Amino acid sequence: MAVKMDPIHQFELKPLVSFGHIGNQEIAFTQSSLYMFAAVGIIALITVVATARRSVVPGRMQSMAEIFYEFIGSTLRQSAGHGSERFMPLIFSLFMFVLVLNMLGMIPYAFAVTSHIIVTFALAFLVIGTVIVYGFMAHGTKFLKVFVPSGVPGWLLPMIVAIEIVSFISRPISLAVRLFANVLAGHIALKIFAGFVPALLAAGAWGAISPLPLALSVAVTALEFLVAGLQAYVFATLASIYLSDALHPGH
Amino acid sequence: MRLSTEFIAGVLAGGILGWMFDHYLGTKPWGLIVLLMLGFATGVYNVMRASGALPRAPTKERDR
Repeated sequence: MAVKMDPIHQFELKPLVSFGHIGNQEIAFTQSSLYMFAAVGIIALITVVATARRSVVPGRMQSMAEIFYEFIGSTLRQSAGHGSERFMPLIFSLFMFVLVLNMLGMIPYAFAVTSHIIVTFALAFLVIGTVIVYGFMAHGTKFLKVFVPSGVPGWLLPMIVAIEIVSFISRPISLAVRLFANVLAGHIALKIFAGFVPALLAAGAWGAISPLPLALSVAVTALEFLVAGLQAYVFATLASIYLSDALHPGH
Repeated sequence: MRLSTEFIAGVLAGGILGWMFDHYLGTKPWGLIVLLMLGFATGVYNVMRASGALPRAPTKERDR
């Protein structure tokens, strides 16, 4: 039976408008770019448009925007301490962008932008770049104290400093890999479980047990919605924890 | 999932750094060996910090 079951196929980039080549690499406006623009449009809709009326008693859309704002605001305050308000636009945009992209990816036949590691790595690099640039701008060379935790005995210090430096470099990697791996693994699992249903139905008598993978894929879908929201939240939380190092270096 | 990525990222960062060291400084196997081990230590350190086994940044309580 020719039931198509290729779980990787959904992550293929399809160029919509091509701008020519640089070297052997095609520079194109892909469906991934289209989804990113769509995400920005949706975010603009639920923030700019929803708060345009600025009523004291918020309407449905306005209260949704306010809930998101308050939620990210309190997360940022808790993990980055005082002075973190200046990063609110960055963290809020990151959270909304990742959340909307994850949720768009959950629509059947839609493309999950965050399943590409280069996208998540670019976002992680933006965060860590902000940490480094702001850290040096605000504290100068004192920012380097972030590599020297206090209360460490002197003979252990060189080792700890080396580990702290590698740990700092591992941060954008862990930030990028976590989001990408969760979205990728979820979509592949979903595709495989759902693919069992037509495969079993096509296999004659085995079709009797096809409701099992169907129920499982319903459950995995629910789980994936949880993961989509949770990973956006984790991304925002970790980004604000890293930013707190730039605000208060030298623990 | 959270802890495993912390660990993997530590090892990965060490490996990439070591490989780059060797590539640009021509110290063929040694950079990779040393920094991969350091990356392993970093992974353990990251996991300890993420799981709360290490007290994290005591200044933050004071600043709040």
